[in-house]
Amino acid sequence: MTARPNTSLAQEPRYELITQVLRANIASGLLPAGLVLLEGPIAALMQTSRIPVQVALRTLAAEGLVHRFDGRGYLVGPPQQDIAPLRRDIGAFELSIPQQVDDALQTRGTWKHFYDEVEEQVALCQVFGEFRIVETELSDYLGVSRTVVRDVLSRLQERGLIRKNASSHWIAGPLTARTLREKFELRAIVEPAALRLAAPHIHYSQIEAFRDRIGVDPTLKPEGLEAALMTYCIAKASNTALVEIIQTNQMLLTSVNRALTGLGLPEDEIALDQYRTLFDLIARHPIDSAAEYLRDHLHIMASKNLARMKIVAVISEAVGFAPYLVLQ
Amino acid sequence: MSLAPTPNLAAPPHVPRRRLRVRGTSITLLKEVRERAQADLGFDVEYELLDFITCQRQAAMQPEGYDIYEQCFHNLDIVWFWGALQPIDTDRIADWDKITDLSKEGGISKYAWRGHGDAPVRKLYVQPGGFLGPKQGRYISMLPTVHNMDSFGFDTRVFGNGEVKRPSWAWLLDRRAKGRIALVDEPAIGFFDAALAAEAGGELQFTDIGNMTIAEIDGLMALLEDRRRQGYFCASWRTGEEAAELLLQDRVSAQSMWSPVYGHLGKMAEVFVESAPVEGYRAWHGGASLSRHLAGAQLDMGYDYLNWWLDGYAGAVMARQGYYMSAPERTKAALAPEEWAYWYEGAPAGRDLLGPSGAVVVKTGAKRAGGTYNDRANRIALWNTVMEEYNYAARAWDRFIRRVNEGQK
Repeated sequence: MTARPNTSLAQEPRYELITQVLRANIASGLLPAGLVLLEGPIAALMQTSRIPVQVALRTLAAEGLVHRFDGRGYLVGPPQQDIAPLRRDIGAFELSIPQQVDDALQTRGTWKHFYDEVEEQVALCQVFGEFRIVETELSDYLGVSRTVVRDVLSRLQERGLIRKNASSHWIAGPLTARTLREKFELRAIVEPAALRLAAPHIHYSQIEAFRDRIGVDPTLKPEGLEAALMTYCIAKASNTALVEIIQTNQMLLTSVNRALTGLGLPEDEIALDQYRTLFDLIARHPIDSAAEYLRDHLHIMASKNLARMKIVAVISEAVGFAPYLVLQ
Repeated sequence: MSLAPTPNLAAPPHVPRRRLRVRGTSITLLKEVRERAQADLGFDVEYELLDFITCQRQAAMQPEGYDIYEQCFHNLDIVWFWGALQPIDTDRIADWDKITDLSKEGGISKYAWRGHGDAPVRKLYVQPGGFLGPKQGRYISMLPTVHNMDSFGFDTRVFGNGEVKRPSWAWLLDRRAKGRIALVDEPAIGFFDAALAAEAGGELQFTDIGNMTIAEIDGLMALLEDRRRQGYFCASWRTGEEAAELLLQDRVSAQSMWSPVYGHLGKMAEVFVESAPVEGYRAWHGGASLSRHLAGAQLDMGYDYLNWWLDGYAGAVMARQGYYMSAPERTKAALAPEEWAYWYEGAPAGRDLLGPSGAVVVKTGAKRAGGTYNDRANRIALWNTVMEEYNYAARAWDRFIRRVNEGQK
């Protein structure tokens, strides 16, 4: 059995881990001055996409450890040194990669390395219209095989972010008010029902503790409270099929919400009070009043999300899209 | 130059003049209003005049850049929900009770048809949870001021004078005007001009024109694109000046219009006239809001300015460009009787009437299209509206307008 990776390193951004590895290997002389560093091979070696490698190389350039030259990639060594480019496969240098860093880079299955990044880009683009995802472009963009790309895409499909059209192209969006309305309508029907079913299985002391943190603990955001409601209450329902429907239905909402906040849209501060009331009602049971309140809360959330869907109209398409996304 | 030491005189105390920054559009940001407000209020009033779409975006995303926001109720759906504004306390608005029912209730009388889309009252009152709605309360989102019922303008050489065959929104997509049609580029305004035209012409039907479905939006955009490919549209415009320019160059036979533009048509005024469409008007309502950052003395200045707006003078300036005021009593007192009779009562002009800047905008004997204020306000087909699917519609509209402007085949 493999030991769990060092969690603090696993949470470090990948570009940070890659920077550390390259920096250490340049300092030790293992990577000689003049060696041409290319994104693709480094990404393959580290089993990551090109994006974090790009960031790592830019960081090292800013530190003066590598520099741009009259060709593709970077050369090892500070700028203004007249060194001839040395072109060799980086794999041949047997880089020293500390076990912990290696573990952190390997923590997740291959497709998981790229999933979050792609999900965010795909969720975001839907706000702007209907996009086609070009598989070959995505594979070039991530610097990975089509197999990995398909794993990523099928996961996105499961989460309801993309679908296939009649000509078998992957399509994302457009995200419309109607989609949001329907998803919230479904939530208002099934989630209170699940909460009722879950009542006998909820650990009420846990809910009380949560309730007492609302408004006191500044790290507690509406998104976290929604997750807590799911984990500690709704997911405890004895009907797993129902819980699965609820979770799937929420996925698109969650990722779009995150994308909109990323665009700078204001977050909902009033929601905190509603969650406090909700957790309080659950803690006090009987569960019926909590279920009623949850339904009302979801109606309000629907209106808020619809209002948010309008205000995003002022954000210009100039925010830009990843190259594998093509506006239809 | 004397080398004698100069005595150290104390500099006169430098007291910076107080100032209030107003961000808005050409509807209300008129020199004549600003100068009078400054004189009456004793502080500087600074104007930042922007087109509708830019104004809305900047008001939403940079609320610290202005103190007062003067725009239309429909775009509160954008700016209010970005959290850029603060509620206005009607207890601090002296003439709140003089504001009429069109603004406060949604129609000029209990029985008046409210029109499709969002009547301003539906965005007026601040509701629990930060929403806006028609349920009356002490706090409001925007002080209702100027409003109008818009229509399109048409060329009498093409369509006749409108007496035998009454004008219909369908003329805005009419074959007779092919190649000489222009629309205003604002997705909550021009979009509806086009929608009214499509429905009036029998080409499309909307279940609720004020809140279209995605399929209905797609249908409208497909129709417009088809007409564009056939060469129906010659331009789009964002300001009244641009609209006037198209007319002075005799490039359009039917186009979206704003009331002040009719006063600046020169000889073209003889052939290009305002319609009173059989289907009714597309109405809008403007107002003034307080930026969320205002507090203390600055907030007091904001309230002074809002109160001043209802005081009569601003309403009179607005009337001279064809716009109505929410508190008409004081406006009447500030207008000459001939002005009131022409603009509000639909009577023939008893003399040449001047616009805000002093130029003649109405010739003796002319009559306002559509008649009296009540006649016009009773025939509101639709309000400018930010629909539920606005984000989708606005982006589709934007792509269409870009193709119109680039003249793509």
